[in-house]
Amino acid sequence: MTQRVAIIGTSAIPIGRHQTADDAEIQTLEHEIMSRLVIDAVNDAGIEKKDIESLIFTLPRPYTRQKYFHTFLLGQMRLSCRGSVMEVMGNGMTAALAFDQACNEILLGRANVALALGINMESAVSAAEHAMSSMRATGDVDFHTSAGFTPISWYAMDATRYMHEHGATREHLAAVAVKNRYHASLNPLAQYRKPITIDEVISQRPIVEPLGLFDVPPRGDGAACLVLASEEVARSLGRPYVLVRGRGFFHDGSHQINDVPNNMIGFEAAVQASRTAYDQAGVVAKDIDLAEFYAPCTIVEILVSEALGLCPTGGGARAALDGETRLGGRIPISTSGGLTSRGHPAYVTSLYNYIELADQLRGRAGARQVKDARLGVATGELGNYNAALIHVLEAMQ
Amino acid sequence: MTTFTTLPVIEIQRKRSYPPRHSSFTQGFWSGLTQGRWQTTSCQVCQKQTFPPKPFCPHCWSPRVEWAPLSARGVLYSWTRIYAAPTAFADESPYATGIIDLDSNIRLACRLVDVPGIDLKPDMPMEMVVLQFEDGPLFAARPVANA
Repeated sequence: MTQRVAIIGTSAIPIGRHQTADDAEIQTLEHEIMSRLVIDAVNDAGIEKKDIESLIFTLPRPYTRQKYFHTFLLGQMRLSCRGSVMEVMGNGMTAALAFDQACNEILLGRANVALALGINMESAVSAAEHAMSSMRATGDVDFHTSAGFTPISWYAMDATRYMHEHGATREHLAAVAVKNRYHASLNPLAQYRKPITIDEVISQRPIVEPLGLFDVPPRGDGAACLVLASEEVARSLGRPYVLVRGRGFFHDGSHQINDVPNNMIGFEAAVQASRTAYDQAGVVAKDIDLAEFYAPCTIVEILVSEALGLCPTGGGARAALDGETRLGGRIPISTSGGLTSRGHPAYVTSLYNYIELADQLRGRAGARQVKDARLGVATGELGNYNAALIHVLEAMQ
Repeated sequence: MTTFTTLPVIEIQRKRSYPPRHSSFTQGFWSGLTQGRWQTTSCQVCQKQTFPPKPFCPHCWSPRVEWAPLSARGVLYSWTRIYAAPTAFADESPYATGIIDLDSNIRLACRLVDVPGIDLKPDMPMEMVVLQFEDGPLFAARPVANA
Protein backbone atom coordinates (compact mmCIF):
# COMPACT_ATOMS: atom_id res chain seq x y z
CA MET A 1 0.00 0.00 0.00
CA THR A 2 1.22 3.49 -0.81
CA GLN A 3 2.51 5.44 2.17
CA ARG A 4 0.20 8.19 3.43
CA VAL A 5 1.04 11.18 5.62
CA ALA A 6 -0.85 12.37 8.69
CA ILE A 7 -0.76 15.48 10.84
CA ILE A 8 -0.70 14.28 14.44
CA GLY A 9 0.39 17.29 16.49
CA THR A 10 0.58 21.08 16.37
CA SER A 11 1.72 24.08 18.37
CA ALA A 12 1.98 27.82 17.74
CA ILE A 13 2.31 31.14 19.51
CA PRO A 14 -0.43 33.73 19.05
CA ILE A 15 0.53 35.98 16.12
CA GLY A 16 1.49 39.46 17.28
CA ARG A 17 4.36 41.83 17.79
CA HIS A 18 6.92 39.64 19.52
CA GLN A 19 10.16 40.91 17.98
CA THR A 20 12.16 43.25 20.18
CA ALA A 21 13.94 46.36 18.95
CA ASP A 22 17.72 46.12 18.68
CA ASP A 23 18.20 48.44 21.65
CA ALA A 24 15.74 46.70 23.99
CA GLU A 25 17.39 45.60 27.22
CA ILE A 26 15.53 42.29 27.28
CA GLN A 27 15.39 40.54 23.92
CA THR A 28 12.99 37.94 22.56
CA LEU A 29 15.12 35.01 21.41
CA GLU A 30 13.78 32.94 18.54
CA HIS A 31 15.29 29.64 19.68
CA GLU A 32 13.67 29.89 23.10
CA ILE A 33 10.25 30.15 21.46
CA MET A 34 10.97 27.47 18.89
CA SER A 35 12.27 24.86 21.30
CA ARG A 36 9.21 25.31 23.52
CA LEU A 37 6.94 24.84 20.51
CA VAL A 38 8.73 21.64 19.47
CA ILE A 39 8.13 20.18 22.93
CA ASP A 40 4.49 21.34 22.91
CA ALA A 41 3.84 19.82 19.47
CA VAL A 42 5.51 16.53 20.37
CA ASN A 43 3.39 16.35 23.53
CA ASP A 44 0.27 17.16 21.51
CA ALA A 45 1.12 14.32 19.12
CA GLY A 46 1.77 11.83 21.91
CA ILE A 47 5.15 10.79 20.56
CA GLU A 48 8.65 11.03 22.01
CA LYS A 49 11.81 12.96 21.21
CA LYS A 50 13.51 9.85 19.81
CA ASP A 51 10.73 9.34 17.25
CA ILE A 52 11.64 12.50 15.32
CA GLU A 53 13.64 11.62 12.22
CA SER A 54 13.44 14.74 10.02
CA LEU A 55 12.97 18.47 10.67
CA ILE A 56 12.09 20.86 7.85
CA PHE A 57 12.39 24.49 8.93
CA THR A 58 11.18 27.62 7.20
CA LEU A 59 13.98 30.09 6.56
CA PRO A 60 14.07 32.75 9.30
CA ARG A 61 13.93 36.41 8.28
CA PRO A 62 17.32 38.11 7.83
CA TYR A 63 16.52 40.04 11.05
CA THR A 64 16.99 36.85 13.09
CA ARG A 65 20.50 37.20 14.47
CA GLN A 66 21.14 33.48 15.04
CA LYS A 67 22.20 32.05 11.69
CA TYR A 68 21.96 28.36 10.72
CA PHE A 69 18.92 28.45 12.94
CA HIS A 70 17.89 24.89 12.08
CA THR A 71 21.08 23.13 13.08
CA PHE A 72 21.51 25.47 16.04
CA LEU A 73 18.11 24.34 17.33
CA LEU A 74 19.05 20.69 16.96
CA GLY A 75 22.06 21.43 19.12
CA GLN A 76 19.92 23.25 21.67
CA MET A 77 17.56 20.29 21.91
CA ARG A 78 20.13 17.51 21.41
CA LEU A 79 18.10 16.06 18.56
CA SER A 80 19.92 13.57 16.35
CA CYS A 81 18.16 12.57 13.14
CA ARG A 82 18.57 10.02 10.34
CA GLY A 83 16.29 11.73 7.80
CA SER A 84 16.87 15.32 6.71
CA VAL A 85 17.35 18.64 8.45
CA MET A 86 17.08 21.81 6.37
CA GLU A 87 15.68 25.30 6.00
CA VAL A 88 13.51 25.88 2.95
CA MET A 89 12.60 29.13 1.23
CA GLY A 90 10.05 30.05 -1.41
CA ASN A 91 9.02 33.55 -0.46
CA GLY A 92 5.26 33.41 0.30
CA MET A 93 5.33 29.69 -0.38
CA THR A 94 8.03 29.04 2.21
CA ALA A 95 5.86 27.40 4.87
CA ALA A 96 3.83 25.43 2.34
CA LEU A 97 7.10 24.06 0.95
CA ALA A 98 8.30 23.16 4.46
CA PHE A 99 5.07 21.21 5.01
CA ASP A 100 5.35 19.60 1.57
CA GLN A 101 8.98 18.66 2.10
CA ALA A 102 8.20 17.16 5.51
CA CYS A 103 5.51 15.07 3.82
CA ASN A 104 8.10 13.94 1.28
CA GLU A 105 10.42 12.73 4.05
CA ILE A 106 7.68 10.33 5.09
CA LEU A 107 6.61 9.42 1.56
CA LEU A 108 10.23 8.60 0.65
CA GLY A 109 10.62 6.42 3.72
CA ARG A 110 13.33 8.61 5.21
CA ALA A 111 11.28 9.29 8.32
CA ASN A 112 8.27 7.92 10.14
CA VAL A 113 7.91 11.17 12.03
CA ALA A 114 8.92 14.57 10.61
CA LEU A 115 8.47 18.12 11.88
CA ALA A 116 7.54 21.13 9.72
CA LEU A 117 8.36 24.20 11.75
CA GLY A 118 9.64 27.73 11.76
CA ILE A 119 9.67 31.23 13.16
CA ASN A 120 9.18 34.57 11.40
CA MET A 121 10.15 37.72 13.30
CA GLU A 122 9.96 41.08 11.54
CA SER A 123 7.59 43.47 13.31
CA ALA A 124 10.30 45.61 14.93
CA VAL A 125 11.47 46.59 11.45
CA SER A 126 9.33 49.41 10.02
CA ALA A 127 7.00 48.63 7.12
CA ALA A 128 8.82 51.08 4.83
CA GLU A 129 12.20 49.57 5.65
CA HIS A 130 10.92 45.98 5.35
CA ALA A 131 9.49 46.97 1.94
CA MET A 132 13.01 47.85 0.78
CA SER A 133 13.62 44.10 0.83
CA SER A 134 10.18 42.81 -0.17
CA MET A 135 9.97 45.15 -3.18
CA ARG A 136 12.90 43.21 -4.65
CA ALA A 137 11.00 39.91 -4.34
CA THR A 138 8.22 40.70 -6.79
CA GLY A 139 8.71 41.37 -10.46
CA ASP A 140 12.00 42.25 -12.18
CA VAL A 141 14.25 44.12 -9.77
CA ASP A 142 15.52 46.38 -12.57
CA PHE A 143 12.45 46.82 -14.79
CA HIS A 144 9.68 46.78 -12.14
CA THR A 145 11.17 47.71 -8.78
CA SER A 146 12.58 50.89 -10.32
CA ALA A 147 8.96 52.01 -10.84
CA GLY A 148 8.13 51.55 -7.14
CA PHE A 149 6.05 48.37 -7.15
CA THR A 150 5.55 46.60 -3.80
CA PRO A 151 4.24 43.05 -3.27
CA ILE A 152 0.70 44.11 -2.37
CA SER A 153 0.54 46.64 -5.22
CA TRP A 154 0.06 43.66 -7.53
CA TYR A 155 -2.91 42.45 -5.49
CA ALA A 156 -4.30 45.99 -5.64
CA MET A 157 -4.15 45.79 -9.43
CA ASP A 158 -6.01 42.46 -9.21
CA ALA A 159 -8.67 44.30 -7.21
CA THR A 160 -8.98 47.15 -9.71
CA ARG A 161 -9.36 44.69 -12.58
CA TYR A 162 -11.85 42.50 -10.68
CA MET A 163 -14.01 45.47 -9.74
CA HIS A 164 -13.92 46.62 -13.37
CA GLU A 165 -14.88 43.24 -14.83
CA HIS A 166 -17.44 42.12 -12.29
CA GLY A 167 -18.87 45.33 -10.91
CA ALA A 168 -17.66 44.46 -7.43
CA THR A 169 -17.42 47.35 -4.96
CA ARG A 170 -15.19 48.19 -2.03
CA GLU A 171 -18.09 47.06 0.18
CA HIS A 172 -17.88 43.60 -1.38
CA LEU A 173 -14.16 43.40 -0.67
CA ALA A 174 -14.68 44.79 2.82
CA ALA A 175 -17.16 41.99 3.57
CA VAL A 176 -14.22 39.56 3.42
CA ALA A 177 -12.30 41.57 6.03
CA VAL A 178 -15.36 41.82 8.29
CA LYS A 179 -16.11 38.11 8.00
CA ASN A 180 -12.48 37.18 8.75
CA ARG A 181 -12.33 39.52 11.73
CA TYR A 182 -15.39 37.77 13.13
CA HIS A 183 -13.62 34.43 12.70
CA ALA A 184 -10.48 35.84 14.34
CA SER A 185 -12.55 37.01 17.32
CA LEU A 186 -13.03 33.30 18.05
CA ASN A 187 -9.38 32.31 17.56
CA PRO A 188 -6.90 32.65 20.44
CA LEU A 189 -3.98 32.54 17.96
CA ALA A 190 -5.26 35.59 16.03
CA GLN A 191 -3.53 38.98 16.07
CA TYR A 192 -6.62 41.20 15.69
CA ARG A 193 -9.81 40.01 17.39
CA LYS A 194 -12.08 43.03 17.85
CA PRO A 195 -15.03 42.83 15.42
CA ILE A 196 -15.21 45.48 12.68
CA THR A 197 -17.87 46.77 10.29
CA ILE A 198 -17.91 47.33 6.54
CA ASP A 199 -17.96 51.10 7.11
CA GLU A 200 -14.86 50.85 9.29
CA VAL A 201 -13.03 48.87 6.62
CA ILE A 202 -13.90 51.36 3.89
CA SER A 203 -12.95 54.39 5.97
CA GLN A 204 -9.39 53.19 6.68
CA ARG A 205 -6.51 55.09 5.09
CA PRO A 206 -5.53 53.90 1.60
CA ILE A 207 -2.49 51.61 1.38
CA VAL A 208 -2.57 50.56 -2.26
CA GLU A 209 -5.69 51.91 -3.94
CA PRO A 210 -8.38 50.52 -3.90
CA LEU A 211 -7.19 48.58 -0.85
CA GLY A 212 -7.16 50.24 2.56
CA LEU A 213 -5.50 49.30 5.84
CA PHE A 214 -8.02 46.56 6.71
CA ASP A 215 -7.90 45.03 3.21
CA VAL A 216 -4.20 44.23 3.55
CA PRO A 217 -2.30 42.09 6.07
CA PRO A 218 -0.96 43.54 9.33
CA ARG A 219 2.71 43.22 10.28
CA GLY A 220 3.29 40.49 12.81
CA ASP A 221 5.51 37.74 14.15
CA GLY A 222 4.72 34.06 14.54
CA ALA A 223 6.15 30.61 15.12
CA ALA A 224 4.62 27.19 14.71
CA CYS A 225 5.41 23.49 14.64
CA LEU A 226 3.56 20.59 13.03
CA VAL A 227 4.24 16.93 13.70
CA LEU A 228 3.73 14.73 10.64
CA ALA A 229 3.83 10.96 10.67
CA SER A 230 3.20 7.94 8.52
CA GLU A 231 -0.42 6.84 8.73
CA GLU A 232 0.75 3.68 10.48
CA VAL A 233 2.27 5.73 13.31
CA ALA A 234 -0.80 8.00 13.39
CA ARG A 235 -3.16 5.05 13.69
CA SER A 236 -1.08 3.46 16.45
CA LEU A 237 -1.58 6.51 18.68
CA GLY A 238 -5.33 5.93 18.93
CA ARG A 239 -6.36 9.58 18.58
CA PRO A 240 -7.97 11.62 15.80
CA TYR A 241 -5.52 12.67 13.08
CA VAL A 242 -5.60 14.45 9.75
CA LEU A 243 -4.63 12.71 6.54
CA VAL A 244 -2.98 14.47 3.58
CA ARG A 245 -5.21 13.15 0.80
CA GLY A 246 -4.18 15.22 -2.22
CA ARG A 247 -1.38 17.53 -3.34
CA GLY A 248 -1.07 19.72 -6.38
CA PHE A 249 1.51 22.23 -7.59
CA PHE A 250 1.62 24.48 -10.61
CA HIS A 251 3.90 27.31 -11.69
CA ASP A 252 2.49 29.28 -14.60
CA GLY A 253 5.91 30.09 -16.05
CA SER A 254 5.70 33.79 -15.33
CA HIS A 255 7.12 35.87 -12.51
CA GLN A 256 4.54 38.36 -11.25
CA ILE A 257 3.41 39.41 -14.73
CA ASN A 258 2.94 37.53 -17.99
CA ASP A 259 4.24 39.53 -20.97
CA VAL A 260 1.71 37.68 -23.12
CA PRO A 261 -1.59 39.26 -22.04
CA ASN A 262 -3.66 36.76 -20.05
CA ASN A 263 -6.52 36.74 -17.58
CA MET A 264 -4.39 37.89 -14.65
CA ILE A 265 -7.20 37.48 -12.11
CA GLY A 266 -7.96 33.90 -13.19
CA PHE A 267 -5.06 32.61 -11.01
CA GLU A 268 -4.30 29.79 -13.46
CA ALA A 269 -1.74 28.19 -11.13
CA ALA A 270 -4.39 27.81 -8.40
CA VAL A 271 -6.83 26.37 -10.95
CA GLN A 272 -4.33 23.77 -12.13
CA ALA A 273 -2.86 22.89 -8.73
CA SER A 274 -6.29 22.46 -7.13
CA ARG A 275 -7.42 20.22 -9.98
CA THR A 276 -4.40 17.98 -9.39
CA ALA A 277 -4.97 17.95 -5.61
CA TYR A 278 -8.71 17.24 -5.92
CA ASP A 279 -8.06 14.43 -8.43
CA GLN A 280 -5.46 12.84 -6.20
CA ALA A 281 -7.86 12.99 -3.26
CA GLY A 282 -10.71 11.67 -5.41
CA VAL A 283 -12.90 14.65 -4.56
CA VAL A 284 -14.50 17.62 -6.32
CA ALA A 285 -14.77 21.21 -5.14
CA LYS A 286 -18.26 20.81 -3.72
CA ASP A 287 -17.04 18.05 -1.39
CA ILE A 288 -14.79 20.51 0.46
CA ASP A 289 -16.09 21.54 3.91
CA LEU A 290 -13.73 24.43 4.67
CA ALA A 291 -10.69 26.24 3.25
CA GLU A 292 -7.63 28.09 4.56
CA PHE A 293 -5.98 30.17 1.86
CA TYR A 294 -2.71 32.00 1.59
CA ALA A 295 -4.59 35.19 0.79
CA PRO A 296 -2.75 38.31 1.95
CA CYS A 297 -5.51 40.73 0.88
CA THR A 298 -9.30 40.64 0.75
CA ILE A 299 -9.27 40.48 -3.05
CA VAL A 300 -6.94 37.46 -3.02
CA GLU A 301 -9.35 35.38 -0.94
CA ILE A 302 -12.06 36.18 -3.47
CA LEU A 303 -9.92 35.21 -6.47
CA VAL A 304 -8.64 31.99 -4.87
CA SER A 305 -12.16 30.93 -3.87
CA GLU A 306 -13.12 31.26 -7.54
CA ALA A 307 -9.95 29.55 -8.88
CA LEU A 308 -10.56 26.56 -6.58
CA GLY A 309 -14.14 26.22 -7.79
CA LEU A 310 -15.61 27.00 -4.36
CA CYS A 311 -17.38 30.11 -5.70
CA PRO A 312 -18.46 30.94 -9.28
CA THR A 313 -16.27 33.33 -11.30
CA GLY A 314 -17.23 36.84 -10.33
CA GLY A 315 -19.24 35.53 -7.38
CA GLY A 316 -16.51 35.30 -4.74
CA ALA A 317 -17.05 38.83 -3.48
CA ARG A 318 -20.79 38.38 -3.06
CA ALA A 319 -20.23 35.09 -1.26
CA ALA A 320 -18.65 36.90 1.68
CA LEU A 321 -21.33 39.59 1.71
CA ASP A 322 -24.08 36.95 1.66
CA GLY A 323 -22.47 34.92 4.46
CA GLU A 324 -21.73 31.87 2.30
CA THR A 325 -18.05 31.87 3.30
CA ARG A 326 -18.72 32.68 6.96
CA LEU A 327 -18.79 30.12 9.77
CA GLY A 328 -22.13 28.36 9.42
CA GLY A 329 -22.29 29.23 5.73
CA ARG A 330 -22.12 27.00 2.65
CA ILE A 331 -18.31 26.91 2.50
CA PRO A 332 -16.51 28.56 5.46
CA ILE A 333 -13.26 30.20 4.31
CA SER A 334 -10.46 31.43 6.59
CA THR A 335 -12.09 30.25 9.83
CA SER A 336 -8.81 31.19 11.53
CA GLY A 337 -9.41 34.83 10.68
CA GLY A 338 -7.27 34.72 7.57
CA LEU A 339 -4.16 36.72 6.87
CA THR A 340 -5.84 40.09 7.44
CA SER A 341 -6.95 39.30 11.02
CA ARG A 342 -5.36 36.05 12.24
CA GLY A 343 -2.15 37.58 10.98
CA HIS A 344 0.56 37.12 8.36
CA PRO A 345 4.11 36.37 9.52
CA ALA A 346 4.75 35.49 5.87
CA TYR A 347 7.36 32.76 6.07
CA VAL A 348 5.27 30.74 8.57
CA THR A 349 1.78 31.82 7.51
CA SER A 350 0.92 28.52 5.83
CA LEU A 351 1.90 26.59 9.00
CA TYR A 352 -0.88 28.48 10.79
CA ASN A 353 -3.26 27.56 7.97
CA TYR A 354 -2.50 23.84 8.36
CA ILE A 355 -2.90 24.19 12.14
CA GLU A 356 -6.35 25.70 11.65
CA LEU A 357 -7.37 22.85 9.37
CA ALA A 358 -5.86 20.32 11.79
CA ASP A 359 -7.82 21.86 14.68
CA GLN A 360 -11.03 21.87 12.64
CA LEU A 361 -10.58 18.32 11.31
CA ARG A 362 -9.68 16.99 14.76
CA GLY A 363 -12.84 18.61 16.12
CA ARG A 364 -11.13 20.92 18.56
CA ALA A 365 -11.70 24.37 17.07
CA GLY A 366 -14.01 25.37 19.91
CA ALA A 367 -16.36 28.26 19.09
CA ARG A 368 -15.18 28.26 15.46
CA GLN A 369 -15.74 24.57 14.89
CA VAL A 370 -17.21 23.77 11.47
CA LYS A 371 -19.81 21.11 12.17
CA ASP A 372 -18.93 17.66 10.81
CA ALA A 373 -15.85 19.02 9.02
CA ARG A 374 -14.28 16.18 7.03
CA LEU A 375 -12.42 17.73 4.07
CA GLY A 376 -10.32 20.89 4.10
CA VAL A 377 -8.15 22.57 1.49
CA ALA A 378 -5.08 24.76 2.06
CA THR A 379 -3.17 26.86 -0.47
CA GLY A 380 0.31 28.31 -0.59
CA GLU A 381 1.50 30.68 -3.31
CA LEU A 382 4.17 32.99 -4.58
CA GLY A 383 4.15 36.10 -6.73
CA ASN A 384 0.68 37.07 -7.83
CA TYR A 385 -0.40 33.42 -7.49
CA ASN A 386 2.07 32.66 -10.30
CA ALA A 387 2.64 29.40 -8.45
CA ALA A 388 0.34 27.52 -6.11
CA LEU A 389 0.89 24.56 -3.79
CA ILE A 390 -2.36 23.02 -2.63
CA HIS A 391 -3.17 20.26 -0.17
CA VAL A 392 -6.46 18.48 0.53
CA LEU A 393 -6.72 17.22 4.11
CA GLU A 394 -9.17 14.72 5.58
CA ALA A 395 -10.33 14.05 9.15
CA MET A 396 -9.67 10.55 10.48
CA GLN A 397 -11.30 9.59 13.75
CA MET B 1 16.22 48.50 -41.67
CA THR B 2 13.68 48.58 -38.87
CA THR B 3 11.97 51.85 -38.16
CA PHE B 4 12.07 53.01 -34.56
CA THR B 5 9.33 53.98 -32.19
CA THR B 6 10.15 57.29 -30.52
CA LEU B 7 8.41 58.27 -27.29
CA PRO B 8 7.81 61.73 -25.85
CA VAL B 9 10.48 62.56 -23.26
CA ILE B 10 9.48 64.26 -19.98
CA GLU B 11 12.30 65.91 -18.00
CA ILE B 12 12.22 65.21 -14.23
CA GLN B 13 14.34 67.41 -11.95
CA ARG B 14 15.55 64.72 -9.58
CA LYS B 15 17.34 61.41 -9.56
CA ARG B 16 15.64 58.04 -9.84
CA SER B 17 14.65 56.59 -6.45
CA TYR B 18 15.86 53.06 -7.21
CA PRO B 19 17.78 53.05 -10.49
CA PRO B 20 17.87 49.88 -12.60
CA ARG B 21 21.19 48.11 -13.12
CA HIS B 22 22.58 47.81 -16.64
CA SER B 23 24.26 44.77 -18.17
CA SER B 24 26.25 44.83 -21.38
CA PHE B 25 23.03 43.52 -22.93
CA THR B 26 20.35 45.69 -21.24
CA GLN B 27 22.34 48.90 -21.59
CA GLY B 28 21.20 48.89 -25.23
CA PHE B 29 17.64 49.27 -23.98
CA TRP B 30 18.38 51.96 -21.40
CA SER B 31 20.70 54.03 -23.59
CA GLY B 32 18.13 53.87 -26.40
CA LEU B 33 15.41 54.91 -23.96
CA THR B 34 17.37 58.05 -23.08
CA GLN B 35 16.86 59.10 -26.69
CA GLY B 36 13.18 58.13 -26.57
CA ARG B 37 13.75 54.87 -28.40
CA TRP B 38 11.14 52.30 -27.36
CA GLN B 39 12.27 48.79 -28.23
CA THR B 40 12.63 45.23 -27.07
CA THR B 41 13.96 41.93 -28.35
CA SER B 42 12.21 39.96 -31.06
CA CYS B 43 13.02 36.36 -32.00
CA GLN B 44 14.31 35.84 -35.52
CA VAL B 45 13.13 32.22 -35.42
CA CYS B 46 9.61 32.31 -33.93
CA GLN B 47 9.07 36.04 -34.46
CA LYS B 48 7.76 36.62 -30.91
CA GLN B 49 8.61 39.72 -28.92
CA THR B 50 9.25 39.64 -25.18
CA PHE B 51 9.46 42.30 -22.48
CA PRO B 52 11.67 43.08 -20.62
CA PRO B 53 14.20 42.42 -23.41
CA LYS B 54 16.22 39.21 -23.08
CA PRO B 55 19.37 37.92 -24.81
CA PHE B 56 17.45 34.79 -25.87
CA CYS B 57 13.86 34.00 -26.82
CA PRO B 58 11.90 32.77 -23.75
CA HIS B 59 9.38 31.08 -26.06
CA CYS B 60 11.67 28.91 -28.24
CA TRP B 61 15.01 29.50 -26.44
CA SER B 62 16.74 30.60 -29.63
CA PRO B 63 19.68 32.98 -29.08
CA ARG B 64 18.87 34.66 -32.42
CA VAL B 65 17.14 37.80 -31.19
CA GLU B 66 17.22 41.35 -32.53
CA TRP B 67 16.07 44.72 -31.30
CA ALA B 68 12.65 45.66 -32.66
CA PRO B 69 10.24 48.54 -31.99
CA LEU B 70 7.46 48.26 -29.42
CA SER B 71 4.06 49.91 -29.81
CA ALA B 72 3.86 53.35 -28.28
CA ARG B 73 0.17 52.88 -27.54
CA GLY B 74 -1.96 50.43 -25.63
CA VAL B 75 -4.70 50.13 -23.04
CA LEU B 76 -4.62 50.18 -19.25
CA TYR B 77 -5.27 46.62 -18.02
CA SER B 78 -5.21 47.68 -14.37
CA TRP B 79 -3.65 50.17 -12.00
CA THR B 80 -3.13 51.13 -8.36
CA ARG B 81 -1.94 54.13 -6.40
CA ILE B 82 0.74 53.26 -3.84
CA TYR B 83 0.49 55.16 -0.53
CA ALA B 84 2.57 52.76 1.59
CA ALA B 85 5.88 53.10 -0.21
CA PRO B 86 9.30 51.61 0.52
CA THR B 87 11.78 54.01 2.13
CA ALA B 88 13.49 54.81 -1.18
CA PHE B 89 10.16 55.96 -2.71
CA ALA B 90 8.71 57.68 0.37
CA ASP B 91 8.99 61.24 -0.93
CA GLU B 92 7.32 60.30 -4.22
CA SER B 93 4.24 58.68 -2.63
CA PRO B 94 1.46 58.44 -3.38
CA TYR B 95 2.24 57.45 -6.94
CA ALA B 96 0.35 55.46 -9.55
CA THR B 97 1.56 52.27 -11.23
CA GLY B 98 -0.21 50.16 -13.78
CA ILE B 99 -0.25 47.32 -16.26
CA ILE B 100 -0.33 48.22 -19.96
CA ASP B 101 -1.35 45.94 -22.83
CA LEU B 102 0.48 47.38 -25.82
CA ASP B 103 -1.14 47.27 -29.25
CA SER B 104 1.66 44.89 -30.28
CA ASN B 105 0.36 42.32 -27.76
CA ILE B 106 2.96 42.80 -25.05
CA ARG B 107 1.93 43.28 -21.41
CA LEU B 108 4.17 45.32 -19.14
CA ALA B 109 4.03 47.10 -15.80
CA CYS B 110 5.33 50.63 -15.19
CA ARG B 111 4.86 53.95 -13.42
CA LEU B 112 1.84 55.98 -14.54
CA VAL B 113 1.87 59.72 -15.17
CA ASP B 114 -1.32 61.51 -14.17
CA VAL B 115 -2.95 63.78 -16.72
CA PRO B 116 -5.03 66.55 -15.10
CA GLY B 117 -8.74 66.01 -15.58
CA ILE B 118 -8.45 62.35 -16.60
CA ASP B 119 -9.26 59.61 -14.08
CA LEU B 120 -7.43 56.31 -14.48
CA LYS B 121 -9.79 53.53 -15.52
CA PRO B 122 -9.16 50.02 -16.84
CA ASP B 123 -9.31 49.62 -20.63
CA MET B 124 -8.65 53.33 -21.27
CA PRO B 125 -6.17 54.19 -24.06
CA MET B 126 -2.63 54.89 -22.89
CA GLU B 127 0.61 56.08 -24.43
CA MET B 128 4.13 55.28 -23.35
CA VAL B 129 6.50 58.09 -22.35
CA VAL B 130 10.09 58.37 -21.19
CA LEU B 131 10.75 59.97 -17.80
CA GLN B 132 14.19 61.54 -18.17
CA PHE B 133 15.62 61.86 -14.65
CA GLU B 134 18.92 63.59 -13.89
CA ASP B 135 20.68 60.23 -13.67
CA GLY B 136 18.91 58.34 -16.45
CA PRO B 137 15.55 57.28 -17.89
CA LEU B 138 12.57 55.17 -16.82
CA PHE B 139 9.63 54.19 -19.04
CA ALA B 140 6.11 55.12 -17.99
CA ALA B 141 2.60 55.47 -19.39
CA ARG B 142 -0.07 58.17 -19.34
CA PRO B 143 -3.68 58.41 -20.48
CA VAL B 144 -4.12 59.61 -24.05
CA ALA B 145 -5.59 63.10 -23.94
CA ASN B 146 -8.57 63.63 -26.29
CA ALA B 147 -8.85 59.89 -26.83
